[in-house]
Amino acid sequence: MEVPVKKTALHAWHRAHGANMSTFGGYEMPLWYSSAKNEHLSVLTAAGLFDTSHMAALLLDGRGAHGLLQAAFTQDLDACIGAGRAPLSAGRCVYGAFLNDDGHVVDDSIVYKLAAGNYMVVVNAGMGPVVARLLEDQREGREAHLQDLSDRLGKIDLQGPLSAKILGRLVRDPDRAFGRLPYFAFRGHFDPAAPGADPVVLRNGAAVLLSRTGYTGEFGFEIFLDPSKVVDTWELILEAGRAAGLMPCGLAARDSLRAGAVLPLSHQDIGPWPFVRHPWRFALPWSGESGAFTKTFRGAAALLGRTQAESTYAFIGQDPRKVSTAEPTVVLNGQGRAIGRVLTCVTDMGIGLVGERVVSIASPDKPEGFVPKGLCCGFVKVAEPLQPGDRIRIQDSRRTLEVRIVNDIRPDRTARKAIADML
Amino acid sequence: MKAISELNFPEGVYYTEDHEWAQARNGSVRIGISDYAQDQLGDIVFVELPAMGAAFKKGAAFGSVESVKAVSELYMPVAGKVTAVNTGLEAAPEKVNQTPYGDGWMIDIQPGDPSEIQALLSREAYLEKLKGQS
Repeated sequence: MEVPVKKTALHAWHRAHGANMSTFGGYEMPLWYSSAKNEHLSVLTAAGLFDTSHMAALLLDGRGAHGLLQAAFTQDLDACIGAGRAPLSAGRCVYGAFLNDDGHVVDDSIVYKLAAGNYMVVVNAGMGPVVARLLEDQREGREAHLQDLSDRLGKIDLQGPLSAKILGRLVRDPDRAFGRLPYFAFRGHFDPAAPGADPVVLRNGAAVLLSRTGYTGEFGFEIFLDPSKVVDTWELILEAGRAAGLMPCGLAARDSLRAGAVLPLSHQDIGPWPFVRHPWRFALPWSGESGAFTKTFRGAAALLGRTQAESTYAFIGQDPRKVSTAEPTVVLNGQGRAIGRVLTCVTDMGIGLVGERVVSIASPDKPEGFVPKGLCCGFVKVAEPLQPGDRIRIQDSRRTLEVRIVNDIRPDRTARKAIADML
Repeated sequence: MKAISELNFPEGVYYTEDHEWAQARNGSVRIGISDYAQDQLGDIVFVELPAMGAAFKKGAAFGSVESVKAVSELYMPVAGKVTAVNTGLEAAPEKVNQTPYGDGWMIDIQPGDPSEIQALLSREAYLEKLKGQS
């Protein structure tokens, strides 16, 4: 059966602006407009605008919604905010995953608490029905109404250090919209008629849910709104940011930015294998004592019981050269033994080596005249434990590259900066 | 991505089906990739070129260009021995995007058979090929 390719509300805009298009998650999306490199750099030094309406969202409400998410989602909603592990409160959101009984990842997600017993679950393109089914399977008589908003909700991501300055010109009451809005907090609602909705309204009348989140590692917003307002809002933001260097960005820049920020791509870096021993420890409800979780949830037993799981690590290379993960890859350890494969390998064009040190174009203390050449980076999944600093080799049919295991890739990221410092 | 009509295909240059170009210059042949190739690849971030003196058969891979999207082999339009390498591409690979027939050239070779270049695609024949693909 031929599945027709889906289009977002901005599809015609992308085409009309010369985007190089490709199919991703069942949608025809822009890979880049004129230059993926310049788009990547714009998010580090100014801001970039991404069409992310291909992503799916579910609404979950009812007295049993909290219990259902506690049973199905990897984060403990009663203990997940900040170092003090506060409960998820209205206006806050949290990153985690939905697993199957084997502890394998069905999809990753950000769960937004809109109000008591009222959540939005944002998942990847095409995954709305899959995650909806997973939640239905675990309902067990709980009172929880599930609504799939796939293709009925628009989304635009404004990312980069100048995002708040640009959006501040378009929000009707910026002091109220931006006040006390830390990383992983949100305000407003995409449906102005929703009960208790505290509206954030743009100059063009669009009601938006404004979230201090994103997939680039840089300061910015994910903006949820009605699909009918997407094109107008997109053009409004581009116009407001033009002088500041805002660029429309495609999926290529999104991929290289997120890899440099050590963020996983679902179904590539996390997927049908146990969701343990990876750089995203914060997505699991580890308790203070080792080897225990603060709650039970689907897949937890499989994760805790496992002793032989493979490990996933971030790596960084020495220059922009990559291996191709479109073909089989091999990871070789220091002794030259094959120990695994490459999950992601991209070039972060915003970073380069100064001696042994990784420096970003956005590093405040970068050497004078520093021009990043780009460094290959990504994730490997291997059968033996490795340490930061370990040198390994990654290999495809064409070349072998020496890379090293690291805890972090692109330095001096801005995602967690206080909004007051970015206005 | 640009339309074929927006791309530049100079006269006096021969083309290959793999999108290299070759230009005869006082007995040597200069080689690079076409405007169509650089546009398809997107931003070029690294160019791997052979050493001076290396000899290749027609159709052999002599290097690679790495874009944001992928790594692509470079193939010899004609047989020959490398007499010059554009080392400027090490520091500025984006020259291949900016001026693929100018500062973005890749190697000069001493051709084994100077007449071999004439069997390559003319500008018109290459344009016909591209129009057939799109």
